[in-house]
Amino acid sequence: MYKIGQYKEYDKLSDLICANYPMLLVVSRFGISLGFGDKSIKEVCDENSVDTNSFLAVVNLLINDEKLEIEEDINLSLPSLIEYLRDSHLYFLEYRLPQIRKKLIEALGDKNDISKVIIRFYDEYVDEVHKHIFYENTTVFSYAETLIEGSSVSGYNIDMFSCQHDEVNGKLAELRDIIIKYYPSQSSNELNSAMFDIFTCADDLASHNAVEDYIFTPIVRRLEQSNKK
Amino acid sequence: MRLHIVIAEPSVIIRSGLVAVLRRLPSLDIDIAEIADMSQLNIQLKRYRPNILIVNPSNIGTFYFQQLKKDSEFAHLKMIALQCNLMDNTLLKGYDGVISLYDGADILKDKFAHIMRTTDNKEQKQGLSEREKEIVVCVVKGLTNKQIAEELFLSTHTIMTHRRNIAGKLQIHSPSGLTIYAIVNKLVDLDDVKDGIYSEE
Repeated sequence: MYKIGQYKEYDKLSDLICANYPMLLVVSRFGISLGFGDKSIKEVCDENSVDTNSFLAVVNLLINDEKLEIEEDINLSLPSLIEYLRDSHLYFLEYRLPQIRKKLIEALGDKNDISKVIIRFYDEYVDEVHKHIFYENTTVFSYAETLIEGSSVSGYNIDMFSCQHDEVNGKLAELRDIIIKYYPSQSSNELNSAMFDIFTCADDLASHNAVEDYIFTPIVRRLEQSNKK
Repeated sequence: MRLHIVIAEPSVIIRSGLVAVLRRLPSLDIDIAEIADMSQLNIQLKRYRPNILIVNPSNIGTFYFQQLKKDSEFAHLKMIALQCNLMDNTLLKGYDGVISLYDGADILKDKFAHIMRTTDNKEQKQGLSEREKEIVVCVVKGLTNKQIAEELFLSTHTIMTHRRNIAGKLQIHSPSGLTIYAIVNKLVDLDDVKDGIYSEE
């Protein structure tokens, strides 16, 4: 079904990115390198052995404000989606979150009491993200992979994994609010930059969660149903 | 406090329009989910657990509306009728608020502010009382509710009420968040804290 504002496989990848720069993250998570000239989305995906439907599904979900579950008739590769999500996890754990920690220390110093407790709070938050992602990487994704092989798993279903995102995100929002409302010092370029990163990281996490909630989960749920038959 | 709003409306034009207007309202912290397929309403409500549902009464029907009202799972759900055309007043009965297709941004803002006040009339934005400060200090030192109760000669139930009020006033929900607050406001020293929550790990 054609929807307004959705990108199609024949659109130029460079146009997509120039109009929506956060899609740079999606491109790199799918393992596509830059320098693709004027090629269409499908051409670039084929060259990089990326499932075009999965790529388009993620892109179109993220650039639309309206978040709706992926439609039944869209056929996309679950393994490539899982690969995307794993790569996205790696990005947060190994790059984004450590980078924000570094910036926070630069901005707050690491000597005074206040910065110590703030960094401590941040570390606790990161621990929670680690736990959550570990659970997804091991339990949830392996469960989906078992389903892909056509086996069924008793005692677990994909709806047991939902609504867990709120708590983790809430903690980052709390840190942001505490710094804004209670941090008692002159703001600086360093602190602003760290705060901007916290805001965009929260957006990135929300996008990542949207892919899990609106594409990954519905597809796994449908797979559960078709395996049962 | 963050409001979780679900808009259930089949028309994409009306739905997106309402989302755009709500997002534009200043000083409303909201998170909006959309439901296009009315047959999915029940399942989606269970998934999102919103504070507020906005729906056109003609789309939801009186029968299902009454069922939702009776469902104890949604006891705290506020329902707002989205009025797109003239309708019988009895259809609007039981809704917590009514917004019209022709409401301007200011009117919408007032209506939401009103609904928020009624959802959450206990929340007062003011500083902590002396008693609440004492409790913050105890929490930061890592005492359990029971230990705090013994220390201050209060019941655990009272302590829990105080903690809820503290979380409401400061919008800080975790002990480590309270620690930052306590250090910043010089309620405790870092040395007090070290013996507390961090040593538990």
